Amino acid sequence: MSDPSRFNRRRVGRLLNAIGPVFGLALVIGLFSLSPAVRAHFFTGVNCKIILLQTVIVAIGALGMTMIIISGGIDLSVGSVVALTSVVGATSLVKGYAPVTAIALTIAVAGGIGLINGLIIAGFRMMPFIVTLGMMGVARGTAKWLADNQTVNAPKSCVNNLMDMLDPLHFFPLPLGIWITMALAVVMAVVMQRTIFGRYIFAIGSNEATARLCGIRVGPMKVAIYALAGLLFGLAGLMQMSRLTQGDPTVAIGLELDIIAAVVIGGASLNGGTGSISGSIIGALIMAVLRSGSSQMNWPNFVQEIIIGIVIILAVGLDKFRQRKAAF
Amino acid sequence: MKSLLRLLPVFVLLSVAGCGRQSEGTGSTPGARSYTIAVIPKGTTHEFWKSIHAGAVKAERELNEKGVKTEIIWKGPLKEDDRDQQIQVVENFMSRRVSGIVLAPLDSQALVKPVENAIQAKVPVVIIDSDVKSDQYVSFVATDNYKGGRLAGERLGQLLAGKGNVILLRYAVGSASTEAREIGFLDALKSKYPEIKLISSDQRSGPTRETAYQASQNLLNRFGNEVDGIFCPCEPPTIAMTKALRDIGKAGGKVKMVGFDSGSQSVLDLKNGDVQGLVVQNPVLMGYLGVMTMVKHLQGEKVAKRIDTGVVLATPENMEQPEIKELLRPPIDKYLTE
Repeated sequence: MSDPSRFNRRRVGRLLNAIGPVFGLALVIGLFSLSPAVRAHFFTGVNCKIILLQTVIVAIGALGMTMIIISGGIDLSVGSVVALTSVVGATSLVKGYAPVTAIALTIAVAGGIGLINGLIIAGFRMMPFIVTLGMMGVARGTAKWLADNQTVNAPKSCVNNLMDMLDPLHFFPLPLGIWITMALAVVMAVVMQRTIFGRYIFAIGSNEATARLCGIRVGPMKVAIYALAGLLFGLAGLMQMSRLTQGDPTVAIGLELDIIAAVVIGGASLNGGTGSISGSIIGALIMAVLRSGSSQMNWPNFVQEIIIGIVIILAVGLDKFRQRKAAF
Repeated sequence: MKSLLRLLPVFVLLSVAGCGRQSEGTGSTPGARSYTIAVIPKGTTHEFWKSIHAGAVKAERELNEKGVKTEIIWKGPLKEDDRDQQIQVVENFMSRRVSGIVLAPLDSQALVKPVENAIQAKVPVVIIDSDVKSDQYVSFVATDNYKGGRLAGERLGQLLAGKGNVILLRYAVGSASTEAREIGFLDALKSKYPEIKLISSDQRSGPTRETAYQASQNLLNRFGNEVDGIFCPCEPPTIAMTKALRDIGKAGGKVKMVGFDSGSQSVLDLKNGDVQGLVVQNPVLMGYLGVMTMVKHLQGEKVAKRIDTGVVLATPENMEQPEIKELLRPPIDKYLTE
């Protein structure tokens, strides 16, 4: 009977959906500005720069993960892939390859792993959870093997500048890594919202069978999704190497969980079909702000871990609530 | 473009937040002399780091009694032994503008940039425990590991009366502190006890007690009947090798065992006579001197670039002496009660 009011409700739901993550971010920033001792240092250009810098790796990973999760999949191998690619990058620099070659090689290796993941998942119709769980072990082991169980110190090169703070006293200049992340976020948002490829991903995640019946070639799409995400994970690995100035086969253990958390906080559903790039980036920022803030508030680590855990559950709970509202 | 528009408020928020307050930079030292010092260990759960924490708290209490207002912030990486997380902690304290940072770097290379950034941002850094490949820090407060290795070598030579077959079970590739101990050990044997024969010195224990146990068993399998003395350069192999010796009935002095560090199991083995010598560091003093050196530097005094916190040889004979006992069982509870 009441078409207008239904329309309004839906709009309210959509609005809630849109501002949810932003509201969350404002909330955590507000939380840390309560303490005057921290406030004085929290709202400085340098601190913003540091928080952005600390977000880069999770954010780039989240770009790829958002795509995978929207398509109804998951990738647990990200942390291991980041470690492996950091070793590949450092090793190729040690062997004297030009930085450009090393960068290309690093990203290509991760893309290859994503391609293998995608081929197995699509080709054998296997659960992404299991396939990428296996790949998590394979990539981690390969990283340790390649690095001979130790860290590989990369010689000085322009790769190290990607994540260099440049000027630790001022907001600008921003490190190249931050610019790259922002640019990629824009590109990925456009891809997801405005291209056929992006819309197909949503379609597959919403209902795979229907998508297939509508003529979408689900198999090749999945291969493409995992391979493309792999390239992004490779870039995250490159950033990790740049940050440590070395390849470390033991780095980024559990990074995939941080990334998945960022994507979920940003409003994606693990059932697929919903999620957004902007939400995921904000999710990543929320976690970085929480980390930085709790460090500066002098909270012990366990408090920090508990709080991040609660935030994840709250975010997903809020999401359910929003969905129920939207469904009316 | 809805999604991009959604991002907009974030950037606005961040950039608005970014403006303005930069000038208040040095807020943590208002007028009178009061210092906030961040102490960053490699991890927080091991006994060794708890001892360092205890030492830092001891320094804090003494300074406050002397009227120098000091506050210690103890903060390890969120994930134990994770280099990236430790970098984040250093960065966060740098932007919080603490008076100084006392850091035990997880890696001699990965932490160079963050340390130099902090120093460039006028937050001085004192390095404790392990070195970092930079020379911009205020001071390096740590054990002289080479000297510790020499002590072990001299003890083993003495126990064997200058002859016999000796095994060195190394720790891991790339660990600077244990490598210095291994070199010290070998140098002492070579120069003082040239008749002692080294039958194995190329095996490595790996980082955990489990990997060390396997390596020990393999070594004893091969050399169990010839070996007279063994040295292990840190806690995991010391405990594992002693266990492996017990398994084949060679513990209790049949094979002389000299180890490093005062893990509670090693101390027990020393007491039971399965270990004949334990080179122990002084982590409490390291934490204490780390903070003290930083405060001295902040007060404008000149401090030494390298400060040795000492190593001591604990034996079954001297382990009940009060000063040795304090090193074997650091008085952590006295300082970390709250």
